[in-house]
Amino acid sequence: MFHWLEKRPFLFAVGVFVVIAFAGLIEIIPDFGKASRPVIGTKPYTTLELAGRHVYIKNSCNACHSQLIRPFKAETDRYGHYSLSGEYAYDRPFLWGSKRTGPDLHRVGNYRTTDWHEHHMKDPAAVVPGSIMPAYPWMFKNTADIETAYAEMITVNKVFGVPYNKEIPTKDGGKVVVKLPASLDEAQKAALEEAKAVAADMKDKDVKDMVAKGQIPEIVALIAYLNRMK
Amino acid sequence: MNKLYLWGGILTVLMVGATYMAIGMTKGGLNGDIVNTLAVLGAIAIAVITIWVVVKYVRQMQTDTASGELAEENWDGIGEYKNDLPIGWAVMFLGTMVWGMWYFLLGYPVNAFSQIGQYNAEVKEKNKKFEAEYAQIKGERLVEMGESVFLANCTVCHGINADGMEGKAANLNQRIEKESVEYVIKHGSNNKLLGMEMPMPDRNGLFNANTGALITDAEIETVAAYVANGFQGAGADIFAGTCAGCHGPDGRGMPSVAPNIREFTTDLVVNVLTYGKKGAIGKMPALDMLNKKQKEAAAAYVISISKGE
Repeated sequence: MFHWLEKRPFLFAVGVFVVIAFAGLIEIIPDFGKASRPVIGTKPYTTLELAGRHVYIKNSCNACHSQLIRPFKAETDRYGHYSLSGEYAYDRPFLWGSKRTGPDLHRVGNYRTTDWHEHHMKDPAAVVPGSIMPAYPWMFKNTADIETAYAEMITVNKVFGVPYNKEIPTKDGGKVVVKLPASLDEAQKAALEEAKAVAADMKDKDVKDMVAKGQIPEIVALIAYLNRMK
Repeated sequence: MNKLYLWGGILTVLMVGATYMAIGMTKGGLNGDIVNTLAVLGAIAIAVITIWVVVKYVRQMQTDTASGELAEENWDGIGEYKNDLPIGWAVMFLGTMVWGMWYFLLGYPVNAFSQIGQYNAEVKEKNKKFEAEYAQIKGERLVEMGESVFLANCTVCHGINADGMEGKAANLNQRIEKESVEYVIKHGSNNKLLGMEMPMPDRNGLFNANTGALITDAEIETVAAYVANGFQGAGADIFAGTCAGCHGPDGRGMPSVAPNIREFTTDLVVNVLTYGKKGAIGKMPALDMLNKKQKEAAAAYVISISKGE
């Protein structure tokens, strides 16, 4: 019956590959598509948050801190609800990390606050005795790179269709819009507004002065990013 | 006698003998130990069966001649016989198809492993265990549990000694600090300390009944010191005139109206842990990963240390 096929081994091999690959695709693709869609409440990054994310990456925070809570009771007790793949929809790249020298940070915004981060980044051992995390004093002096953050916003909006300026459903049933500033100037203005809100909760005099002068220290951007991780 | 049978026999004897020797050389040897005896019997069985099977098929290859009908197809002169399917094989083949249908339609969809399912089962089991072991504890054990909850979750801000680490968080060795009282009077409060929205007005809504006017800066400072010092020293009259209406004459609060500001209560701490709080020092996040009992335990611990125990 299959004599015809058996006489054509190459064609037969291609046929076998197509059949098996097709079976694989119809198993994988629907679930993959579903899982990679943003979950309710996941919203795109604002300019300042994105700048903070760049600070996070620049200082290799992900080398010691993961952003992936596994579904184990021991982890959810400590960090909160386990991570869902849709929550990384706007992360480019995602920062799952591969090693926890420090704790997971995926929901750190739920249980740490602006002023805690401020104390901690300045001198980790002062808040967490015995902590081996280094201090990051330069973040209080260097200014955040808003231009790159804004460039990334435009790129992901144009190339990947990240929904800026669109209504996004929130967990409590409401709607929220994350604006894509129309120009670099506006982006800087918007970022400064956000930075002022963060700096209001901070204690460092120099940081407050810098923000008042219209500069945004890296620490403010980083805290805006960490506070958003919920 | 065929050479083949001779070699088979020699091999069997050698293998069984080697097994017997190996066991004999171990500590204790056979010694009537049933396990060792069984091992020897097993070894004999394996050796005999193996060699019998090998001999049988080698004989068959030596003597068998081809018979049966050839299939039409042949490949470079190599053909195959038209044999009936062995019945066992055919049954298994059909069985596999039936199983495949079942697995595709029911087996996998109904019984598929799910990481989240496993997590849910694990959580359910742990919670049950927690309930059984800790749901009823009180007194000293509750305080002990509270201490471990405190050390795991609260020390990052309040410090190991609960002193707030030089103003990074509230000092829990006392009910309330002077700065906090002043802040609350000046800014009001709506921290769900009673578990619901029950705003305390800011200074523009706080009258001193003694003077009939809004509370003044000097009065705020005096009464804040009075409250922070555990209701001692000057300021009792201001408290009676301004605060006692809601917080009660002794500062122990009133249900659904105002919280106890003289000492920590379980409800108060549980509500702070559930809703978080914003005050003079900054914002305290809600710690909602704790369960109800853990919050009560943390409250018990805070109450005990605030009394200096």
